[in-house]
Amino acid sequence: MEIFLSAIFSGTSRGAIYALAALGLVLVWRGAGVVNFAQMGQAMFTTYIASTLIGHHYSYWLAFIVALISGGILGAFVDLSVMRPLSRKRSSNFLDSPAMRSTIPVIASLGILGILQSGAGIFWAAEERGFPTPVNSLGLVIGGKTMPFTAFDLFVIGTVFITLVITTYFFKGTGMGLAMRASALNPEVARLSGIKIGSMRTLSWTISGVASSLAGLLVTPSANLSPSTLDLILIIGFTAAVVGGLDSLLGSVIGGFALGLLISFVNVYDTPEDIFLAILVVLLAVLLIRPQGLLGSKEVRRV
Amino acid sequence: MLEIKDLVTEYGSVKALNGVSLVAHVGKITTVIGANGAGKSTLLRTISALEQPRSGNISWNGKSIVGLSPEKIVRLGIAHVPEGHAVISQLSVEENISMGALFRMRSNKVDVKNAQQEMYQLFPRLEERKNQLAGSLSGGERQMLAISRALVSRPSLLLLDEPSLGLAPLIVEQIIQTINDLCRNTGLTVLLVEQNANTALSVADHGILLSLGSVVADLPAAQMKADVSLRAAYLGY
Repeated sequence: MEIFLSAIFSGTSRGAIYALAALGLVLVWRGAGVVNFAQMGQAMFTTYIASTLIGHHYSYWLAFIVALISGGILGAFVDLSVMRPLSRKRSSNFLDSPAMRSTIPVIASLGILGILQSGAGIFWAAEERGFPTPVNSLGLVIGGKTMPFTAFDLFVIGTVFITLVITTYFFKGTGMGLAMRASALNPEVARLSGIKIGSMRTLSWTISGVASSLAGLLVTPSANLSPSTLDLILIIGFTAAVVGGLDSLLGSVIGGFALGLLISFVNVYDTPEDIFLAILVVLLAVLLIRPQGLLGSKEVRRV
Repeated sequence: MLEIKDLVTEYGSVKALNGVSLVAHVGKITTVIGANGAGKSTLLRTISALEQPRSGNISWNGKSIVGLSPEKIVRLGIAHVPEGHAVISQLSVEENISMGALFRMRSNKVDVKNAQQEMYQLFPRLEERKNQLAGSLSGGERQMLAISRALVSRPSLLLLDEPSLGLAPLIVEQIIQTINDLCRNTGLTVLLVEQNANTALSVADHGILLSLGSVVADLPAAQMKADVSLRAAYLGY
C-alpha cells in the first residue's frame, strides 16, 4: 500500500511536469502550426540562467522568476527572429508549397535546439551540475510518520495546478485569450475581426516559453543539469501531447499526467529499463485506436 | 464612398480581376452579381486586403486603403463577411460575436456591450443559442452569426459575400430584409455579392454585373433587373 501510494504521488508530480511540457508544445502547435523541437532546449537554457544566479548566491525565488521571464523572452525571440521571417511568402514555388511551409519551421526549430545546446556548452561548460529545490525533497514527515511524498512533490503539483488554472482563465475568460483561440482556429476570420494574428502567434511562443521554462526548473532537481538533460522531457512531453490530441490543451495535460503515472508504476512494479518500452506501447496503441488522440479534433487537416 | 479604380488581382498567372472600376455610395446597397468565377469574391477579398491587388486603387472616404493589413481595414470601419457562413465552429455563439468587437473592447467597453445586445435583438435566435457552439447551428443561424460578427464592430461599410448560399428561400428573405433595414435606418453602406441576382437586385439600389473579372454592366438595380437580354447573356436565365 505504501509503495502504491508512493507511486501515485511521484507519478502525479512527474506527470505535472510532463503536462507542462506537453502544454508548451501544444500552445505553439495550435498557435503557430509548428512542432517546436527547441522547446526543452529553451527550458534548459533558462534553467542554466537560474542555476548561475543561484551560484552567485541570489535566492532561489529570484532565480525562479528570472528564469520564467527569460523563458518568455526567449520564446518571443525565437518567433520574431526565426519563425516570423520564415513564414513570409517566398518567390520560389517549391519553398512556398504547403509541405515545405510546414516542414521548414520544424527543421529551423531543430537548428535552434542545436544552437542552444552548444551555446550552453560554451557558456557553462558541458559538465553536469546539480540544481536545488526550494523545499525539502525527502519524504515529508507529519506527526512522526514519513509520508509517501515529499514537500517538493507538493510544490510541483501545486505550482502546475496554479499554472493550469491561470492558463484556463486566460483562454476562457479574457478577450486576449479569445483572440488567441480565434487566431489558432481560423486565422482568416480572426483577421477579418481585427485580431492581429502575428502578435497572437508571438504570444503563443511567449506563453509556451514560460511554461517550458517552468517545466525545466521543476524537473531538473531530479536529474543533473547538462545541455542535453531535458531532451528526455521533450520526448515524453511530445508523447503526452500526441496521446492527448495535439490540438487540445486539456488533452495534453491529461496525457502528461497519464504518462507520469505510467512511468512511475513501471518504475516501481517493473524495472526502469522498461519505461521507454511502456511509453512506446502507449503511443502505438493511441495512434492505432484513436489517431486523433484522447481529446484531439477528428477534423482532417487539409494541406 | 467606396471607390475602386482599374483593380487587377491575380492568382499566380490567372487574372481574377481584370481592371474593375466601381463606386459604392454611402447609405446605399450596391450589389455585384455574376456567374461562378466572375471574380466577385476576389473583389471583396481584395477590398478587405485578404488578397493584394497587382495594380489599381481602392479608396474609402477619399483615402486609399491599398497595402493596409486586414486588421487595419476593419478598424477603418470596413467589415467583411466572407463566403460560406464564416464563423468559428469550435467557439460559442457569444464568443463569435465578442470576437468581432475585441479590437475596440479597450477603447469603448460600454458600446461593445450595447452592440452585442443589438445583435441579439437583430437575430433573437442567436440569443437563445448564445452558449451553444457555433458548429451546432443551422446554416441560416450560422449566416446570421457571421453577419453579427461583422456588424458588432459597428462598420460603416459592410462587404457581404453570398449570404444566400445554400440557405432556404425564407431564411434568405429574412437575412436580406435585415440588411436592407439596417442600411435604410442607420446609413450603413453595403456591397453585396450575390449569385442569386433576383434577390439581390430586389433590395439593391445599384447593380454591377461582373463577368470573367471585368465589369460588363453598371446600372441602377431596377433597370438591371428589367434587362432580360443582359441576364440571358451573363447569368443564363
